[in-house]
Amino acid sequence: MTTSRARNDVLVGLSIVVVSVLLLAGVLWLRQADLGRERKRLVARTRDVGSLQVGNPVVIRGVRAGTVQGIALGGDGWVAIDLKLDREVELPPEPAVLLYASSLFGEWQAMVTSVPALPADRALQSQIRDAAGRRDTLPAAMVPDIAQLTAVAGRIAGDVANVAERVRVAFDDTAAFELRGTIRDFASLSRELSRTVTAQSKNLDRVSGDAAVAMRALRAATDNVQRVAGRVDSTTSRGELAAIVADVQRSAKDILTAAEQVKSIAGRLDRTGGDLERAIASADTVLARVKRGQGTLGLLSTDSSVYRNTDSLLIELRALVKDVKANPKRYVNVRIF
Amino acid sequence: MNASGDDAVVTVPVPPTGLPVANSLATSRPARLLGAIGATARTLVTALFGGIGRAWFFTREVVRATRVVSDWRPHVMEHARVLGVDSLPIGIFLAVFTGIVLALLASYSISDLVPLYFVGTLVQKTVTMELAPVLTGLALAGRVGANIAAQLGTMRVTEQVDALETLAYDPLAYLVVPRVIASTVMFPVVVGAAMLVGLTSGWLASIGLLDLTTPQFLKGVRLFFETFDVRYGLVKSASFGCAVALAGCHAGLATRGGAEGVGRAATRAVVLGAILILVLDAIWALVWLTGKTLTH
Repeated sequence: MTTSRARNDVLVGLSIVVVSVLLLAGVLWLRQADLGRERKRLVARTRDVGSLQVGNPVVIRGVRAGTVQGIALGGDGWVAIDLKLDREVELPPEPAVLLYASSLFGEWQAMVTSVPALPADRALQSQIRDAAGRRDTLPAAMVPDIAQLTAVAGRIAGDVANVAERVRVAFDDTAAFELRGTIRDFASLSRELSRTVTAQSKNLDRVSGDAAVAMRALRAATDNVQRVAGRVDSTTSRGELAAIVADVQRSAKDILTAAEQVKSIAGRLDRTGGDLERAIASADTVLARVKRGQGTLGLLSTDSSVYRNTDSLLIELRALVKDVKANPKRYVNVRIF
Repeated sequence: MNASGDDAVVTVPVPPTGLPVANSLATSRPARLLGAIGATARTLVTALFGGIGRAWFFTREVVRATRVVSDWRPHVMEHARVLGVDSLPIGIFLAVFTGIVLALLASYSISDLVPLYFVGTLVQKTVTMELAPVLTGLALAGRVGANIAAQLGTMRVTEQVDALETLAYDPLAYLVVPRVIASTVMFPVVVGAAMLVGLTSGWLASIGLLDLTTPQFLKGVRLFFETFDVRYGLVKSASFGCAVALAGCHAGLATRGGAEGVGRAATRAVVLGAILILVLDAIWALVWLTGKTLTH
């Protein structure tokens, strides 16, 4: 009985201990706990860590070199990231930390890289410059993950949809019809232009031919001129031409004087014509106003009552003058003192 | 008969046509059906709440009996060996095949868009949080619950329980408490072993039967692994052990009617244990998993 009880105790205790130890070891192994292992600690700071979590891997040149040990909110809008790296790991020169999604399934990691090796992204480099400046802290920046990019793409798609909607509203059936008409007109215009070009090219060919003929004629004329010049030379040598030239010069001077006089007369005629045009335009304006019944003349010409009033006024004025002449004392009373 | 000795003529008043007849309605088929449904519902409600009440009082008495430490402590190890250590092979056997099937099922379920290393994630999460505790618990509900109910039922029908009471032993402290404590302690041990074995068999199946390497499988396992998963599974299994033992003890001590009654008690203990495991599983999920998102 005692042996059986002792056996029970041993079996139960052994089962509990073995299973507990194995479970604990398994959990520690899966959590990648480092019991007593020396680690190097680094602190990085950034404005936003995205979906980075404690326990996410830290990689250097793609090789796992540690884990994210802690994430805490800091002052002035910073977030401090505590990184634990293997002791033997060497940091690159000018180190900086990039936080990014390592897969489409929400896994994030921190990559320690050097500032010159950062991607040529202005926003990213601006974040790194912003976070730099403290000697004991690495600058860090978050690379947008696919969700953020998708959100941006979604906004862009929304804008495109808005534009498309506006185009759809603006480009209704009438606009389409007009556009079709425009395209048809443009096609016919193109055909017309093509025909014109074809015709003009034929004309050009003809002109070219005519020009060639003209050139030939010109060459013949030049030959004739050369022959005439030879004769003129022979004439000049006899002194007859000097007299002709002198006569021609005199005649030309007279013609020039006459031409200047004609030009002066023509100028005056021009000015007179301009004055006449302006006078006619004024008269037209006056006549138009008269015709429309505007102004005194217009009223006189269109409103008979004005004419009648004026006429009776003239009659009364005439009677008044007559009465003044007949009885001046009635109207003029000159007194001294 | 009336005074003249003639048979009395009983005149039954005939109701006017078109009016409902109360008696005929009471005896019609729909009425009988409704009555039967009502009676069944009343029986079920009575049984449910009566059962819950009896279970509550029984549990309270068991808790009270734990104060008599000298009665139950010497027997705990014996029951721990019988209920726990002897159940390890069943738990491990179940876990081996559970891990293999899960690995294959996971690789079958995930599409081309999902990386294959998620097989490790699925195996780890499912084995640790659900299948190891529940499957092992159900298996042990059959083995442990039936064992306890049969033992205590036999003792009840052979009046050994009455003899204990005669000898001034508290049957609950002497028979129930050590079994409940042993079961509560040893269930997590068996389930823990099942977790380890299930994960190992899933890993072996992944590298042997699937196009997956050990680092990939480990990556998947570690991706979303949390110690909470193990804690959740172990706490759950402890509650399963307690419930199964209590159900077996309650069914065993309530045995009536000889060998047939013992059989019924064993069956009842198994069914009740399985139901309790599933109900507790849902309760733990509601308590611990509601509002908790998967983090990595």
